[in-house]
Amino acid sequence: MQKVLYGILAAAMALSVNAQTANTVKIGWFGPETGDSALWGQAELNTVQMMAADYNAKGGITIGGKKYKVQIIAYDDKGDSVEAVNVAKRLISQDKVVAIVGAQGSGEAIPVATIVDAAKIPLVASTATNPKVTVSDSGAVNSYVFRACFTDPYQGKVAAYFASQKLGKRKAAIFMTIDDPYSTGLSQYFKENFEKAGGKVVSEVSYTSGEKDFRAPLTKIKAANPDVIFIPAYYNDVALAAKQARDLGIKQLLLGGDGWPSDNLISLAGTALEGCLFINHLDMDGLAAKPMRDEYRAKYHKNAELNSYMVHDALLMVVDAMQRANSINSVAIQKALLTCNIQGITGHIKIGPNHDPVGKEAWLIKLVGPNMKFQEKFATAN
Amino acid sequence: MDYIQGIAVLIGINLIAVLGLSILTGFTGLFSFGHGGFMAIGAYVSAVVSSRLNLPYPIAFPMAILAGAAAAGIISVFIGKLTLNLKGDYFCIATMGFGEAVRVVLNNITYVGGARGWANLPQFTTWWVVLVLDVVCVVVAWNLINSRHGRNMVAVREEELAAQMAGVNVFRSKMIALIVSAVLAGIAGALMANYIQFIRPTMFNMAKSTDLTIMVIFGGLGSISGTIAGTILLVSLPEVFRNFAQWRLVIYGLAVIVIMVGRPQGLMGGVELTPSGIRKLLAARRAKAKLEAELKAAEQGDAA
Amino acid sequence: MDQFLQQLVNGLSIGSIYALMAVGYSLVYSIMNFSNFAHGSVIMLGAYFGFYALTALGVPFSVAFFIAACGTAAVAVILERLAYKPLRDRRAPFLYFIITAMGASIFIDNSVIATIGPTPKTFPSELLPSFLQGMPLEWGALNVGRIDIAIFVVAAICLGLLMLFIDLTKLGKAIQATAYNMKASALMGINPNFVIILVFAIGGGLAGVAGVLYGMKYQVFPQMSSITLKSFIAAVFGGLGSLPGALLGSVLLALIETFVSGYLSTQYRDLFAFIILITMLVVRPSGIMGRDAEDKA
Repeated sequence: MQKVLYGILAAAMALSVNAQTANTVKIGWFGPETGDSALWGQAELNTVQMMAADYNAKGGITIGGKKYKVQIIAYDDKGDSVEAVNVAKRLISQDKVVAIVGAQGSGEAIPVATIVDAAKIPLVASTATNPKVTVSDSGAVNSYVFRACFTDPYQGKVAAYFASQKLGKRKAAIFMTIDDPYSTGLSQYFKENFEKAGGKVVSEVSYTSGEKDFRAPLTKIKAANPDVIFIPAYYNDVALAAKQARDLGIKQLLLGGDGWPSDNLISLAGTALEGCLFINHLDMDGLAAKPMRDEYRAKYHKNAELNSYMVHDALLMVVDAMQRANSINSVAIQKALLTCNIQGITGHIKIGPNHDPVGKEAWLIKLVGPNMKFQEKFATAN
Repeated sequence: MDYIQGIAVLIGINLIAVLGLSILTGFTGLFSFGHGGFMAIGAYVSAVVSSRLNLPYPIAFPMAILAGAAAAGIISVFIGKLTLNLKGDYFCIATMGFGEAVRVVLNNITYVGGARGWANLPQFTTWWVVLVLDVVCVVVAWNLINSRHGRNMVAVREEELAAQMAGVNVFRSKMIALIVSAVLAGIAGALMANYIQFIRPTMFNMAKSTDLTIMVIFGGLGSISGTIAGTILLVSLPEVFRNFAQWRLVIYGLAVIVIMVGRPQGLMGGVELTPSGIRKLLAARRAKAKLEAELKAAEQGDAA
Repeated sequence: MDQFLQQLVNGLSIGSIYALMAVGYSLVYSIMNFSNFAHGSVIMLGAYFGFYALTALGVPFSVAFFIAACGTAAVAVILERLAYKPLRDRRAPFLYFIITAMGASIFIDNSVIATIGPTPKTFPSELLPSFLQGMPLEWGALNVGRIDIAIFVVAAICLGLLMLFIDLTKLGKAIQATAYNMKASALMGINPNFVIILVFAIGGGLAGVAGVLYGMKYQVFPQMSSITLKSFIAAVFGGLGSLPGALLGSVLLALIETFVSGYLSTQYRDLFAFIILITMLVVRPSGIMGRDAEDKA
C-alpha cells in the first residue's frame, strides 16, 4: 500500500514538474483561475496560451539569432495572497522560469514583489494598478517588478479631468467599495484631482464588498444632489448599483473606472447604464484590438476581456525585452525592461523610473445600447 | 527560500492553529467558525510589534509572537465570558459573527493598512523557527489532553450534564480550551505575517476558519496524531493535484459529510500514533476477538 | 423626512427577504433543535433553479417559481435523509450535525461554482411578468421598486399561509406537538420521521421562494449562502424556534441595519448586527419572542 502511495506521489510530482527541452524559453503566469475573479484569470490564461501557440506556429521567437519555442507554465493563485506566494515560489524554484507575467490582482502582486526581487526574476503585472506593486512603502522601487497598465493615481486623475473639464461637472458624489483598496485608492485620487480642478465632492459613501443592497447609501447620495456619480467598482456591483440607483429615482450620469468593462456589464445592468461613461485601458471594440479580438473569439467562443489585452501587452513587453537583450537570462531581461518602449494593443508603453508606463493613454468609453463606444483618448505625464 | 521548504513552512504554521482548534472542537466539542479572527489578531499585533516598535533584531520576533498570542488570548477571554454559557449553536453563530467583526474592524484601521493590507513586513519565519514551535505546541497539546483538564474536556464533549454532575466545572474547561486554541491561532497568525511578509484582513476570513476546521475533521476528532496527519495531507495535497483545483472544495465538502456520517474518527480513528496508543488498539482487538470466540463456544455449547 | 421614509421603505424591503429566509431556518430549528447551516446553500439553489427554469426551460414565471420551490424542498429532504437522519439514528453528538451541515453547504456551493461558474447572472427583465417591469412607483420623493412590492406581498402571503397551516390544520398541530416534545408526540401516535420530512420540505420550499425573490431583486450568484448569516441573526434576535419571532427579528434587524448605514456609515452596519447578536445572546438568549432556551443535556 505504501509503495503504491509513493508511486502515485512520484508520478504526480513528475507530471507537474516541467522539463525544459532544448531551445525553449519558459515563462510563468499566475492568476485567479478559480475564485471570485476567475473570469479575468481565465481570460488571461487563455490569452497567453493563445499567444504562445501563435509564436510556436511560426517556429518560435528569435532571440540572439536562435529560435526559441515559448512554454507557458501557469498556476492558479485562487485570488489569495498566500497561494500567490506559494505558486510564485514554485515557478521560480521548481519550474525555473525566466520571467513571470500576470498577477492581475494587486493583493497577489504585492507579496510576490518581494520574492521576485530576491530571486531576480522579472515580473510584469497585467492589471495590478495599486502603486505599491512597483513602489514599496519606503519609497524604494521594486527592481524586478514592472507593469503594463497605468496606475490608480493616474486613472483617478484622468477620471477627474474628464468629469470636470470635458463633461463640465461641478458637484460629484463617490460610491466606493470600502474594503477594496482598488476602489478606495481610485476614489481618493479622483477626489484630490476633482477638487484641484475646482469641483466639489458633495457626498462620499461606501459599501462593503459582498453586500448587495445599496439603497441606504444611494439614498444619501440622492439627497446630496450631485451632477455626476463616480463608481470605482467592479462590473457586477456597478450593475447592481446602477439598477438600484435608477429604482430610487437617481437620474444622474454615472462615471467609472477600469473595473467596469466586461461582457456581462450590460446584460447585468439592463438599461440602467445607458449613456454612462468609464475609463478603460484601450478601446476594446477598436481597430487596434480587432485582430486579437477575432482570433480569441474564434478560438475560445467568447469575447476577450480587458485582462486579455493587458496580459497580451505584458507578454509582449517580456518578449521585446528578451529580443533587445539578445538573451533569456533573467537579469538581462530585467535590464532591457527598464528601457522598454513599445506599441502594444493597449497603447504606447514606455517604462518610467517607477517601472510604470509613463503617459499611457486612457480611453473614455460610453455605453450606448449593447455597445461600448469610444469617445476620446487622454494622456498626461504621470 | 525555495518551494518545498515553503510548503513545509505552511504546513507547520497551519498545524499550530489546527492543534488549537482540535483541542476546542475535537476534544471539547465546541465548533468555531471564527478562528480566522484570532489568527488575524495574532498576525496584526505581531506585525505592529515587529515593524513599528523598532526593537533590536534578536528580541523583535519573539516579542512579536508573544504579543500576538497574548492579544488573541486576552480577547478570547472576553468572547468566552460572553458566549460560552450559551448553547452549542449560539456559540457557533457568535464565533462566526466574531470572525467577521474582526475583519470589518481591521479593514477600517488605516494604521495597520486597512483593507489595502500591510506589506514589507520583516521575514523572520524560517523553517527552523516553525519546526521548533511545532514541537513545542504538540508537546503542550499532548500534555494538556492527557491531563486532568484534558479528560474534563472530553467529558464535556461527551455528555455535558453528566460531567457537571460529576463535579467538572464545565465553564472553566470550555474556557481553557478556548483560550488555548486562541493563543495557538494567534501564534500561527504571527508566524504567517512574518512569512508571507504581507497581511490583509481577507486572508483571515471565514474561508480560512472553515479550512482549519476541515483539517481537524479529516484527521479525526479527538486525536492529536490525526490532527498532524490531517494538516500535512490537506496542505500538501492541493499542490500535487493542481489540475483539479476547482473540485477541491466540492470533494472536501462531500468528504466532510461522509466522514461525519460514516467514520467520525477520521483518518486516525481516534487512535494515537504512540506506543501506548498502538498497544491499546492491539489490546482492544485482542479482547474483541476473545469475546467473539467465547460467544461462539457458548453457542456451540448450547447446541450440543 | 423624505430620506427617513425612503430608508424605512428600504429596510422593510430587505426585511421581507430576511423574514422568508429566517422563518424556514427557524422552523427546522424548532423541530430538530439544531441550526441547519446548509439552509443558505438551499436558498442559493432556489435562485438558480428559478433562473434556469425561466431562461433554459422557458416556462412562464409563476411555473418557474413553483419549480424552484419544489426543487429546493426536494433538496432539503434529500439532505435530511442522507446526512442528518443517519446522525439522528446514531444519537450522534450535536457537534456532528453542525459539521455535517457545514460540509453540505461547502459541497453545494462549490458544486455550483465548479459547474456553472462564479459569475453572477440576472433575471432578464423581459421574462418577468409585465407588472414587474417598468419604472418604480413614485410618491413625491419616495421611490418604491415594483419588485419590492412583489416581495413584500409574496412574503406576506407565504408566511400568512404558513401560520394558518401551523395553527389550524391537523398536520400543523402535529408539527407543533413534535416541536414541543418529540418523544411524547411519538407516543401519541405522531410519526416523527414524517413530521421531520414535512418540516424540511416546507423549510426548503420557503428557501426556494426566498432565493428566487432575492435573485430577482439583486443577482443570482453562488456566494449567496453567506448572506444568510443575517437571517440566522434575525432568527436568533426574534427567538429561535418562534415563527412570529423570526418575522419580527428580521424586520427589526433590517430596519436597524438600514438606518445605521443610512445615517451613520455602511462600514459599521455588519458590526452593529454582530453587536446586536451578542447583546441579545447575553441579555436574553431566548430572543424577543422565544421560548426559554433549555440547555441540551
